[in-house]
This record gives sequence, C-alpha cells and structure tokens, in this order.
Amino acid sequence: MSEHIEDPTSCEEFQEDLTAIALGTLSGRRRSEVLRHVESCPQCAIELEQLSMVADAVLHLAPEEDPPIGFELRLARRLRADAAPRQTNRFRRVRYLAAAALIVVIGFGVGALVGSQNTNNTSQSTANLASATLSSHGQNVGEVFVSGGTPSWMFMTIDSHSWSGLVTCELILANGKVENIGQFGLSGGYGSWGAPLTSRAGQVRSARLTTASGVVIASANFRA
Amino acid sequence: MDSDTDGVSDEALLSGMAVGDDRSGLTFVRRYQRRLFGLAVGIVGDVGDAEDVTQEAFIRIFRHAQVFDPRRGSVSTWALTITRNLAIDSIRVRRGVPTDPEDRVFVELMSTARLPDAAALASENVSNIRSALGKLPVDQRRAVLLAALYGRTALQISEGEGIPLGTAKSRIRLGMARLRTTINIEEAL
Repeated sequence: MSEHIEDPTSCEEFQEDLTAIALGTLSGRRRSEVLRHVESCPQCAIELEQLSMVADAVLHLAPEEDPPIGFELRLARRLRADAAPRQTNRFRRVRYLAAAALIVVIGFGVGALVGSQNTNNTSQSTANLASATLSSHGQNVGEVFVSGGTPSWMFMTIDSHSWSGLVTCELILANGKVENIGQFGLSGGYGSWGAPLTSRAGQVRSARLTTASGVVIASANFRA
Repeated sequence: MDSDTDGVSDEALLSGMAVGDDRSGLTFVRRYQRRLFGLAVGIVGDVGDAEDVTQEAFIRIFRHAQVFDPRRGSVSTWALTITRNLAIDSIRVRRGVPTDPEDRVFVELMSTARLPDAAALASENVSNIRSALGKLPVDQRRAVLLAALYGRTALQISEGEGIPLGTAKSRIRLGMARLRTTINIEEAL
C-alpha cells in the first residue's frame, strides 16, 4: 500500500458520503468529488466496495410474492412492444414466451381458478393458439387468447385505466350464437381472467365485455 | 418444460438471453418473477404499480443482458437493484414526496421477533443478513432500511423522522458500518 498517499484524516470526511454512494442516495457534484477521491485512495475504494455489498444485501431480504395471474402474458406483450422497433430476433423469443406462458396459465392458473384440473392438453392448446386485441373506442385496452384442445380455454388481460366492478365476458360464435363465459371483477380498470369454453375455439369470432346493464365496454375480433 | 435450463446458472441464462435463446429468457422470468415482484410490491405498495415496475425491470434485464458484467456483482443483486431503483422512481413520480412506508416488507424487516418469509430465507446467507439487521438498534435499523430499500437521503430521513440531519447521517453510517462488520459479506451474496 505504499502508493496510498492520502492523508487518513481527509478520508474520515468521506465516510458518510461513501455510505450514501453505496446506498445510491448521493448524486451531483459531491458524488463526483468523492468518487475522484476513491480513485486515488485504495482504502476508501475497499470501504465503498464493502458498503455497497451491504446495501445490496439488504435487497435480498424482501419476501418473495407471486405476481398476479397473467403476469407472464402481459410481460410478453410488453417485451414484444419493446422489441418491435428494433426488428430483431427478439420477436421469436417473445412469441415463445407468450405461448409458453399461456401453457402455464391455461394449464395451471386458470385450471386452479375455475376448480378444474385439465392439464393434459397443453400441447394441443399451444398448437391452436389465437389472440386478438381487446379494444374500446379505437384504443387498445388488452388482449384475448383462445386455445384449442379439449376443452378449449380463453384467457384475457385488460388494462383500461377506467372501469371498475363486475363485467361479463361473452363470445360470439360463427353461427351467431352468443355464449356467456362468466363474470370477473376489474379494479381501477385492471384485471385478468380466464375460463374453459363449452364451444370449440375455432368457432369463436369475437369476444366482448359488458357491464351489468349490458353496455359493451370492449371487444376483440378474431380472424375467421 | 424448462427442464433443460432449470439447472443453468443465472449468468449462463443471461448469456443465452443475449443471443436470443428463448428458453433462457423464459427460465429467467420464472426464476426471478417472485423475487422481483416481492421487492417491488414491498416498496410501492400497490399490486398494479408493482407489476408495472417488475415488468419494466425484466424488459431492462432482457435489453441489457449482453452487457452484464459478473465481476461487478451477482445477477440476483443486479436484477434486484434494477427493480429497487424503478420502484423508487415509481413512488417519486406518483407521490412527488416520500411518505412514511408502512408496508408489510418494512414492518416485517423492522420486527426482530420473526423472520419475514420462510421461503425467502431458505438460504442461510440471507438469514445471516436478516439476523445482522435484527441486531442493530431500532433507530439505526430503520434508517438503514429507509435508505437501502426506499432510497431515502439523510435529509429526507431527518425530515421524515423529525431528527437533526447529523443524527440521521450518523444512524445510517453507524448502521451500515455495524452490518458490514457483522455479516460475512463475501458469503452473503
């Protein structure tokens, strides 16, 4: 340590600032001054490194918690949006992520949600996966997925920033029949939900959400 | 489904993500979503906001997987730090000024009576960190948590706690110094 020429008393004045840098709470000119000192002071460099490790260690204490159902699907959608402008092969990755997430959500999450235990047809489901944008007054407010298989499943995620309360999900089939799939709650415009279908997935032409008074608040159209 | 990547190290998964390997990305999300979301919801309080924060954290991790430098720390710490910073930004944007955190994570970590979550503390190393934190005087523990988890500056802590600025600085500094000497840092992370 013969190269260490800093006056030890000058290092003392940096102690609190080193802690603040480690905690990420010091910025601006003072931060630059302290880091300049650290560059020329091996003792303070070690001090900063160890304090940073302590600060990092505290982050590991947060208890784990399951994110809401549909998290992976919504993440896949955001990853897709993030990747779109770059036109990279992330598309492939995101599509896989979405499909794989759907396998889990449909096979396990939704199954648990409705009390059904049918997880044997997951490969069929992904082989016949269809999705459609849920829109309201021209705005994209979510996404609806329908998977094939026996039974078929539907899953949707919505983030409208408006409606709250109970909404009903209806499917319009190729023969014009309207099928009531069930109800779920929106909180602050936000919600995700899924259910098994009594009809075949290929028969679904559109999906819509209605309020208790029958007003359609959002809809999604699938390709025929 | 991910059996071929389940046992892969975090660093290897990031490498895979950087070159566009789909299974690596999926495995990484599955491996970390509970930890990142747990931290985010602990800081921001609201489930919807926490999901936004967690998703943004994953997006950044995907985006920067190729520049991750393992010499600067573990993947888990990197991912948690990204999440923590985004959560703090989220609170600042929504609330403007910091408020007193009364969320579950803070209250549980302040308590010395019990461990916060058995699953989270499955690792002996994490348990050691928690134990070291529990040995700090309450005032120092609170100051360290406010700074480390919530990004509070000494000035904000002094104003929030109604104590002189010098006292806030001392509590943070002494608390951090004691933690440093109590835990075995090299093994802790």
